[in-house]
Amino acid sequence: MASATTVKLVISSEVRLVDVVHSASETMAGIAGFDEDQSLNVGLAVREAVINAIVHGNKRDPSRRVDVVLKARPRSITAQVRDQGSGFDIDAMQDPTSEANILNTSGRGILMMRAFVDDVGFKYREGRGTEVTLKARLKRGRRDDNGGSER
Amino acid sequence: MKTTVRTVGEVSVVDLSGKITIGEGDIILRDKVHELLEGGHKKILLNLEKVSYMDSAGIGELVACFKRAREKGGTVKLLKPSGKVEDLLQLTKLWEVFEIFGEEQQAIPSF
Repeated sequence: MASATTVKLVISSEVRLVDVVHSASETMAGIAGFDEDQSLNVGLAVREAVINAIVHGNKRDPSRRVDVVLKARPRSITAQVRDQGSGFDIDAMQDPTSEANILNTSGRGILMMRAFVDDVGFKYREGRGTEVTLKARLKRGRRDDNGGSER
Repeated sequence: MKTTVRTVGEVSVVDLSGKITIGEGDIILRDKVHELLEGGHKKILLNLEKVSYMDSAGIGELVACFKRAREKGGTVKLLKPSGKVEDLLQLTKLWEVFEIFGEEQQAIPSF
């Protein structure tokens, strides 16, 4: 297995710190070989996971932390985001694009995560909060498609 | 994020630049649109040409501005979304909710 470059971040539940994780995610995606647009997609997906953790998981309580682990490998990146909340029912989430919900002012974060990375998983364990795992893989030949120099 | 307001006829054109994200851009957008509506300016065109991206909070605030304007008998329309902002409006299907224009000359007479 290819060696991974790992970054671990622990933040208190303050929305002003979301940019810190977003920025680190984009940097790690770049290390994995993603281009600028793909790196922004990764950053946006991780950003949404962190917003969910702070706002919905930890209820904006700054004494609760969000743990983030970013692992970059050649051509792939994995992010794990864990809160200290009491979990939520992913199956109960409503489609934010339906006519009934389209004018809601929240509820689009998971849609965005799923759109911007390849895999999104949710795991809740009593006493350990919700852990969201995001995985993105560089599509084979993508750089060549864009006129890049990857061989 | 930064905003500049221009008045073109009866339309307030809000030129936005930067990113519309949680805790910063979303609040600036909310306050600016609130200020315009309270000042009796009910025809608002948000110029997104220089907005690099939004997160779910920023998108939520766009929707909130749309609804708030409508409640006050006003209208919020969008100008020149591109790149990631256009992708996000398509993904969320808000492209079908907002009136969106590629050119200011077309947007202004539409109010």
